[in-house]
Amino acid sequence: MPGSRSEAAGAALVILATALAAALQAPAGAVDFAHEVVPILRRACTKCHSGAQRQGGYSIDSREALLAGGDSGLPAVVPGDPGAGELLRRVTAADPAERMPSEGEALPEEAVAVLRRWVLERAPWEEGFAFGAPVYEAALALRTVELPPAVGGRTHPVDRIVDARRATAGLAPLPRCDDAAFIRRASLDLVGLLPDPDAVAAFVADADPGKRARLVRTLLDDDLARAEHWMTFWNDLLRNDYTGTGFITGGRRQITPWLHRALVDNIPYDRFVRELVSPTDASRGFIDGIVWRGEVNASQTVPIQFAQNVGQTFLGINLKCASCHDSFVDRWKLQQTYDLAAVMAPEPLELFRCDKATGATATPGWPFPELGTIDPTRPPAERLARLAELLVDPGNGWLSRTLVNRLWARLLGRGIVHPVDALRAPPWSAELLDWLAADFVASGHDMKRLLETIATSEAYGAATPPSAAAPGADAGLVGPVPRRMTAEQFTDALWHLTGTHPAKADADVVRVRPDPAAPPPEPARAVWIWNNESAASPPGERLAFRTRLELAAAPRRAVAVVTADNEATLWVNGTKVGHTADWGRPLVEPVAAFGPGANEIVVVAANADAGGPAALKAEIRLLAADGAPLAVASDAAWEWTATPPDDRGGWPAGTAVEWRPAAVVENQSVWASSDAAFAAGLAGSGAAQPPLRAVLVKCTPLMSALGRPNRDQVVTSRPVDLTTLEAIQLANEQTLFDAFTRGGERWLASHGPDPDRLAAALYAAALARPPTADEARAARGILGPEPTAAAVADLLWAIVMLPEFQLVR
Amino acid sequence: MRSIHEAAARRDFLKSLGAAATATLALPEPRLRAEGVVHPKATADAIIVLWMAGGMAAPDTFDPKKHKPFEKGLAVADCISTFPSIPTAIDGVRICQGLEGIAGVLDRGALVRSHVQPDLGSILHSRHQYHWHTGYVPPQTVACPHIGAWMARVLGPNNPSLPAFVNIGQRLEGIGENEEIKAFTTAGFFGSEFGPMNLPFPEEAAAAVRPPEGMAPGRFADRYKHYKALLAAAPGREHASDHHQESMLRSLDNAHRLLSAKERAAFDIALEPPEVREAYDTGRFGRGCLLARRLVEHGARYVEVTTEYVPFLHWDTHERGHETVARMHAEIDRPIAALVRDLEARRLLDRTLVIIASEFSRDMITEGRPGSKAADQASSPKDFLQEPAHYGQHRHFTGGSTVVLFGGGIKKGFVHGRTADERPCLAVEDPVTITDLHATLFTAMGISPATAFDIEGRPFYATEDGKGRAVEALFGA
Repeated sequence: MPGSRSEAAGAALVILATALAAALQAPAGAVDFAHEVVPILRRACTKCHSGAQRQGGYSIDSREALLAGGDSGLPAVVPGDPGAGELLRRVTAADPAERMPSEGEALPEEAVAVLRRWVLERAPWEEGFAFGAPVYEAALALRTVELPPAVGGRTHPVDRIVDARRATAGLAPLPRCDDAAFIRRASLDLVGLLPDPDAVAAFVADADPGKRARLVRTLLDDDLARAEHWMTFWNDLLRNDYTGTGFITGGRRQITPWLHRALVDNIPYDRFVRELVSPTDASRGFIDGIVWRGEVNASQTVPIQFAQNVGQTFLGINLKCASCHDSFVDRWKLQQTYDLAAVMAPEPLELFRCDKATGATATPGWPFPELGTIDPTRPPAERLARLAELLVDPGNGWLSRTLVNRLWARLLGRGIVHPVDALRAPPWSAELLDWLAADFVASGHDMKRLLETIATSEAYGAATPPSAAAPGADAGLVGPVPRRMTAEQFTDALWHLTGTHPAKADADVVRVRPDPAAPPPEPARAVWIWNNESAASPPGERLAFRTRLELAAAPRRAVAVVTADNEATLWVNGTKVGHTADWGRPLVEPVAAFGPGANEIVVVAANADAGGPAALKAEIRLLAADGAPLAVASDAAWEWTATPPDDRGGWPAGTAVEWRPAAVVENQSVWASSDAAFAAGLAGSGAAQPPLRAVLVKCTPLMSALGRPNRDQVVTSRPVDLTTLEAIQLANEQTLFDAFTRGGERWLASHGPDPDRLAAALYAAALARPPTADEARAARGILGPEPTAAAVADLLWAIVMLPEFQLVR
Repeated sequence: MRSIHEAAARRDFLKSLGAAATATLALPEPRLRAEGVVHPKATADAIIVLWMAGGMAAPDTFDPKKHKPFEKGLAVADCISTFPSIPTAIDGVRICQGLEGIAGVLDRGALVRSHVQPDLGSILHSRHQYHWHTGYVPPQTVACPHIGAWMARVLGPNNPSLPAFVNIGQRLEGIGENEEIKAFTTAGFFGSEFGPMNLPFPEEAAAAVRPPEGMAPGRFADRYKHYKALLAAAPGREHASDHHQESMLRSLDNAHRLLSAKERAAFDIALEPPEVREAYDTGRFGRGCLLARRLVEHGARYVEVTTEYVPFLHWDTHERGHETVARMHAEIDRPIAALVRDLEARRLLDRTLVIIASEFSRDMITEGRPGSKAADQASSPKDFLQEPAHYGQHRHFTGGSTVVLFGGGIKKGFVHGRTADERPCLAVEDPVTITDLHATLFTAMGISPATAFDIEGRPFYATEDGKGRAVEALFGA
């Protein structure tokens, strides 16, 4: 190796010396254009040299203009040479006639040093950045939109605006999508579920020209389905979840029961916002944010989170930049963020700039004082009430514009302003945005009606054009863009197609509502049973009881009501359904584990360690596939054993188990005080109990892979693309595979074994259309002449993996 | 009233003013800011982070101080390390007894004995781990990407068949603080394409890239073949140029390629000869090191292996610390030494950066008091020990910890920084913050610490505010 150690050391010294020299010239390292240079130039120069102001013929709006200089003809900045250029010369000039800025104080030395370093580093600029007036800002109040005339009988106000817009661009109105595509699209968009094949067939066959509007109305009138679909959207926007960061430190509160109820009832949006911003205990989780133990950055205190979340969620304003310093990208100031934060803060709020105290104090207020102010002397609760009042004031166009834009983006794939959080960007149609917003306000802030208005337009019902989804496409002109199913939509569809709905919600919501129009429920058939008529039982005795149920097909629904003195656990086909340990409060739980063939129902019941009589009472009400009501109830036909089952409620093959007939307990009146609760459980089971929705369970690893976020921040859009890691999960994740296996068995049992009939049924259920001849042939390739359950599972998997399935289009 | 032409002219003028900014706004985020960022020349192609989850005490591992064995009445003031020190392959540098394997390969690496973390008021493991893994203190206004996601996003995998970012050994369900751990075990705003492939059990990693249980390999291959046939038969192939459809099919193909490729073998540690498995197998962490080696050999970019964070377990010693740390020594020493030797033998060490790190260090006996600053965390040494259970590092300490680095262009046989020899053992020479340590890792991997992406209209940097400075003294292997 050439070169000795001392040579190397010498070279190192030279490098060190060079580095030192460089360090002396640029003591603080590379200059940060956005955070260091822009504020100086904005403060000192833009008043006279930006936007419409070009005094002395000089504008700093773009890098090019800033370097070029003004009327003098001299370059203002020579990149890399701080000694040359008018800008540095003029800001440091001693002569007041020459010095810039021409009014006010000279630039402080530190500011000059930053500019000098910036010039020395060849004046780096941000791609796309321009000084100058805000890019776009609409008036606070909604404009009155004069609708263009309807063309070709397309009278829907949305279409009058969109058609006129297309006409200006020389484009004809978009053609309609076909009816089958429409019902699938509308079902997934409005209630988040695949349409039932019978409903698709009926809809396609329907000759009524008003059928699309009728369908939209019918879908939206399904309050529970609508609410539980849109709950995903609101959980994201309101940062609500059933588990997640902050729960272990007690730093987070759910608003789940409140939100579910509000959506089911479709409460007006102004009331919705008011109850969130000026909350009751049930809804205060939103303004409380997430509290981490320990010190947090000044821009993440609870009041600042409040300001950010109120700004983003309800006003489409991004106050995150303006939580540390005046925003560089729009007009929001640090002071405005803190003033909004101070509305909820119990103590006076000191302003921190970039995490350093400024000594200044915030005055409770909100960003649009022209509409009304908040009395800072009132206590926080009153200030919040006043803020809520101002937010929902019809004069505040941003509240309705923000929501209208978000819903439009959900239904058509792109916002009228896009991205949906960039409400400072110009909308592609200010008329459409404001017409929809004004109509929404005039309707009494009716969210359901707003969805109906959008979904009944021809703009929504148009065919998705090929290659529509290229990023950056002009949404105004391309029509509805295909959207990927959310993790929740995908999971719901999967559960539906495979019959693998879990039984239990994690969300604390009331889904079963007794239907007042329904006939009175039948009285309970179940009786208290044990292994002897007198219910005698040693302390801690544990017995297993079983019965069997033959079914031709999986039932439409099943609900179990179980109670025992003192505790019981119910298993159906090896799946644990639930547990109860209080005989006065029976377990009431939907059961998803029933399938065609023999079903085994096992209840493990135990006496208290303290002893006393023991007994069990259980009844399962089912609605069979053919619509017939069925019931299984504990009686003398049940059997018992003292051999405990394994942890799946069964007995391994080869275990010798002695089964004996159960005994009906003589004195049934011992537990009479529980009869009412038992009957109420059965009454609930008679009400329509739709299958569980993915939004109501905690995020699973699969849903997380499919883009369900952890809701540490407000989330306003879901990932657009399927990623490789997700695709791996779709190919081999075990729970998914098990679900497909189950689905294969079910479809084979209900539709088999004719391969063509199976394929047609699967296509109808998953894609709302029959397979083409080519597809039928390909499907037969998978199924073979005599399909096995595994082959059906594989065809179902292949259909679910089609982009056509995973996209809403 | 102005004429319509005037209004139009003014609108055009305003439009031209805003055009540049608007054009940028319309682009999808996150968006790499290319201008003005010069990436350093990479000295490493891959990185393995050996994560000592729960707070590895420097005085009981890589930064030994005065030591006294336990005796009833032992004055805490007289003892800082609960292990005696041993010599290492670097002249004059000692580490704690129990780490003989690592001591033997230490001449291939460097010690940073002055890594410091902010106090954050209340020292909470998952929060400090979030900070260490993303470079940002939670909570943040945007979802921060893990540093592995940065590597995946900026560099991608070395081999396109493999995931770029693999996370070994950490369960994300069924343990304490799991939601907090999930909060940083993510690609954040980069999107899940760049997120970790999580393999909590190294011995089950092969299953993560195998057909599901219950599905024969032949059926798995057939299913995809049939799927392609079904896809080819589908109408609407005119939508082939559709962006969504294209990316969806590409991902499914990628996945299928991995699940069928020979690289799948990278996930299967059972393919190693028994004596190699034996050399690594001190438990899950050891097996994870072996898996990490195989993954890097096959082209993964960022692999993290953790001893696993579970509150009050492993390095999270709140009592019987000495006993527990002796067990942790035994768990990490052999596999780490084997990993370094194996990478070296395969000529991979020069281009693979291996780093041992933890969210903070510990000090003796007493639990930290909430609100106490780093300097006070060890300022109460008046205690006397009566029970062996109290002999150990039971107190969180953010004022000085040790990071060990091997390979990837890092200077060999080098010690950077120093902590005080008396309590509080603060970093007294060349303190290295998380920001600068990250800058060092990014620099080694050829990523400028000032690399930024636009998200929500503002820049978000690889190191906080783009200000991270690599510790230049560490380079020069």
